[in-house]
Amino acid sequence: MKKLLLPLLTASAFTAHAGENLLGYVQGAETLPEGSGELYQIFTQREGKSAGDYWALDSKTEIEYGVTNAFDVFAAIKGMALDTQGLQIDGYMPGDREFGLKLSGLELGLKYNFLSPALDDIGLSLYTSLDYSWIDNHSGQDKDTLSLDIKLLLQKYFFEGQMIWTANAGIEATSATRDEIANLPEDFEWPTEAEMEIELMLGTGLSYRFAPNWFVGGEVFYEEEHETEVNLERWSVFAGPSLHYGNQQWWATLTYARQLNGGGEKFAEQNDRSLHLIEKTENEWRLKLGYNF
Amino acid sequence: MRNIPNFLAIPVTMACTTVYAVDYLNVEQAQQLLFAGASAINATITLSEQQKDAIKSASGVRQRSDKQEVWRMEKDGVMQGWLFIDDVIGKHEFISYALAIDLNGQVLGIEILSYRETHGGQVRLPKWRENFVGKTRNDTFKLNRDIPNISGATLSCRNVTDGVKRLLVLHHLVLAS
Repeated sequence: MKKLLLPLLTASAFTAHAGENLLGYVQGAETLPEGSGELYQIFTQREGKSAGDYWALDSKTEIEYGVTNAFDVFAAIKGMALDTQGLQIDGYMPGDREFGLKLSGLELGLKYNFLSPALDDIGLSLYTSLDYSWIDNHSGQDKDTLSLDIKLLLQKYFFEGQMIWTANAGIEATSATRDEIANLPEDFEWPTEAEMEIELMLGTGLSYRFAPNWFVGGEVFYEEEHETEVNLERWSVFAGPSLHYGNQQWWATLTYARQLNGGGEKFAEQNDRSLHLIEKTENEWRLKLGYNF
Repeated sequence: MRNIPNFLAIPVTMACTTVYAVDYLNVEQAQQLLFAGASAINATITLSEQQKDAIKSASGVRQRSDKQEVWRMEKDGVMQGWLFIDDVIGKHEFISYALAIDLNGQVLGIEILSYRETHGGQVRLPKWRENFVGKTRNDTFKLNRDIPNISGATLSCRNVTDGVKRLLVLHHLVLAS
């Protein structure tokens, strides 16, 4: 519980928030009306690498504002907590590490709506964000990371809005530099030169309103990352359900996502060879809370 | 216990917070606003699948419910028109509204009975509702062209607009014949 005592802080990749989120990862194309705002708090718990113990909590506190009816801007503060034991992954995770929730990064972004899902045949928005973080969200070690994220967001209403389909496609370019670590294990590789990474993402989801205020949904998303030296460093497919409640003032979405398949680099001790478990985990839980003002 | 997210307790607590819907008008008040001094005779109809299909085909809008609440409005024994009570989907909850149609199938007025969405409370204002007055089933109902859109409530505006068109068609196919 100590790790959760700072509830207003953090998050992981693939978090884009604008307007009410019916799903945990794949987002819709709507923007806020001019002059209105929304406050978000997102927690993501990542756990399990099929070897040792790994538990991480990301937090992201975000405020978004509608500059015009089609243009939103937002700013976010991110934080992270980590508890990992019995895991040593060459080049990635030097050893055990435990810390409670602390600040890990900042993010600025915008969202522009080209087509409205309720006015046009399909909704389309462009989302972009600039993210700076100083903690590696896998190992918890010090690492300066600057990322530019660009996504296209699609959304379509069915049955007068009772069912909503969403799809996202994005690319993220990252420059990262790790800090030196003293007393590394013998022969442990820990490169400190700047590295460049490009991540591609595709995701789609469906939400259905089964009662007033309540939505149930499911989503699947694919991510792959290319890195300077190894080219395809990782890929993974996650999928899972969401439960969403929303009313006039606030909303909440709870999502479970499980890694179904993954590849790229693996570490020797991982028991499940069908997943990518160096930078990803077996399971993620995400809770999003939104407040309109 | 690590496999059970600690934050699960938060939505449970929040879901227990009672949120009271705001209803602006009841049916009797809407009847008097739209047909002052008239008496209402319940003429609620149950639609067959064929009738629902015909409504969908002619209006382009799905008739969700088999049952449609409608009242014959009479004054001094003379029929003045029809008053429909209808629900359409809003972003979170149903939007309830009353639609008054004269004997020629022309909109006399519309009143919002309940609206519980985050944005778009302007649907209750006369300025927006007046856009429907005089419309018939032969008019076009394109949102943002024939009926103004309200930012942040586009889905609500679209569904109310489509709902009015659907009821005009229902009136023509089921009540006017």
